[in-house]
Amino acid sequence: MDNEAMLATPSLLRFEPNHDAVSETPTQLGIRHLDFFYGRAQALHDVNLEIKANAVTAIIGPSGCGKSTLLRSINRIYELYPEQRAEGEILVDGRNVLDKRYPLSELRRKVGMVFQKPTPFASSIRNNVAFALSYYEKLSKSEIADRVEDALRQAALWDEVKDKLGQSALGLSGGQQQRLCIARTIAVRPEILLLDEATSALDPISTAKIEELIHELRERFTIIIVTHNMQQAARVSQRTAFFHLGELIEFGKTRDIFTNPRVQRTQDYITGRFG
Amino acid sequence: MTLSRARKRKIVDGMALVFAGAATLFGLVWLFWILWTTLQQGIGALSPTLFTQMTPPPGSQGGLLNAFYGSAVMILLAVAIGAPIGLAAGTYLAEHGRYTRLGTVVGFLNDVLLSAPSIVIGLFVYEMVVVSMGHFSGFAGALALAMILLPVIVRTSDEALRLVPDQMREAAFALGIPRWKVTLQILYKAALSAILTGILLGVARIAGETAPLLFTALSNQFWTSSLNEPLANLPVVIFQYAMSPYDEWHELAWAGALMLTLFVLGLNIAVRLIVRRGKR
Repeated sequence: MDNEAMLATPSLLRFEPNHDAVSETPTQLGIRHLDFFYGRAQALHDVNLEIKANAVTAIIGPSGCGKSTLLRSINRIYELYPEQRAEGEILVDGRNVLDKRYPLSELRRKVGMVFQKPTPFASSIRNNVAFALSYYEKLSKSEIADRVEDALRQAALWDEVKDKLGQSALGLSGGQQQRLCIARTIAVRPEILLLDEATSALDPISTAKIEELIHELRERFTIIIVTHNMQQAARVSQRTAFFHLGELIEFGKTRDIFTNPRVQRTQDYITGRFG
Repeated sequence: MTLSRARKRKIVDGMALVFAGAATLFGLVWLFWILWTTLQQGIGALSPTLFTQMTPPPGSQGGLLNAFYGSAVMILLAVAIGAPIGLAAGTYLAEHGRYTRLGTVVGFLNDVLLSAPSIVIGLFVYEMVVVSMGHFSGFAGALALAMILLPVIVRTSDEALRLVPDQMREAAFALGIPRWKVTLQILYKAALSAILTGILLGVARIAGETAPLLFTALSNQFWTSSLNEPLANLPVVIFQYAMSPYDEWHELAWAGALMLTLFVLGLNIAVRLIVRRGKR
């Protein structure tokens, strides 16, 4: 099959066989009766979801279905905007992180997030990675250097930047900037990684690199990705949740969702009938 | 029929172009006339003694050293007072008060202060400081300048921070970094060139202010480095000397005016350079 035919093939038929190992890992994150409001408009309705540890869970659905909102609830980043609020429970290690008494810095150290647009800080590559690190831990200069290298290696960026750690991060390409953002996030050793359409602003080669990366990172982190690219969801995730109009429509093993969905709406979406 | 309509449009278009061009020319003529006159009259009066000698009594030669010094000190002091407070208030408006009622009210009041006539501010400082201290002083002058500078910096730093995209804030907060650290180390860095631009434009604004200095710093024929005494300064010296009947004083006034113009021009060029660097 030539490349063009590959691209034209519907996602259903283009299944890559690296999903067989859907082992039963313990639950890392429990979402219970989650409602979310933007002012008076309700964006999520009674969402219940169990996220397994050391696996990739993909959230798919058409624009405005609430998939990003779900991610933004988990690390409470929505609290930056006073008119937004979440109700219900999100349990991490048995504690409800939506509880105002749950300290934000502890939550956000545990739950890292990478956004759609690369957001390097106007500073050197090294400082971008070391910034949060040196806030959380008292480290010596050499320890910081080690951790920075470690994080950059994990983000598959080290070889490209090791000779210019002191240079501005703004000089990197978009794909490199996004991997830098991943490095910066995993440098503080979170348990959960939230990727909010982290490749949608990138070219195909950078996208492939980051997908490969997700594959490797899954051994150390619990990963939730939001994507509007169904092939990507099929390629990188073990479990997939399909959202529509703020409701969780179907959730299961990625293979089942894409080959044998139980709900008609899921099937309509993944076969491209709406979206 | 259609041809004549097209013709009509062409004529109207041509007339509009001529009118717009003439209006632009009209505005520019005055600017260049002012610059030309200042240059022509000032350049003859320029001499090294301008920077080495004090303002002279009538009928003798001298320079403007004490006026340059007084203006520089008062502007620096005004920046030292106005910039930190203005930046802090701008930070409050952009980062903390953005969605609050108080923030909206403060932003509005700042706009009122921004458009307050400078002579009113001078009068206020006269009443509060000069009258209670019993004499004019460089300190009172600097205070008046600081009060004119303050709302400029509040507004520009507020806007500079608002220009930093929310994604940057979210990315920083998502790392769990507390607000003060995000503001100091990420947002200020991202907004640095815009904040500096605001401060420089504010300096350009107060450099030529005369009214508020007339009854705060007054002026001083002699050298003093004390901020507790009346202090010579460029705008008021230009005003006094230009109004005088003495030719030597007229020359010095032109020289002072030229230096002031060049200073403000230099600030504007510096702003351009900073903005260009910030864009890269």
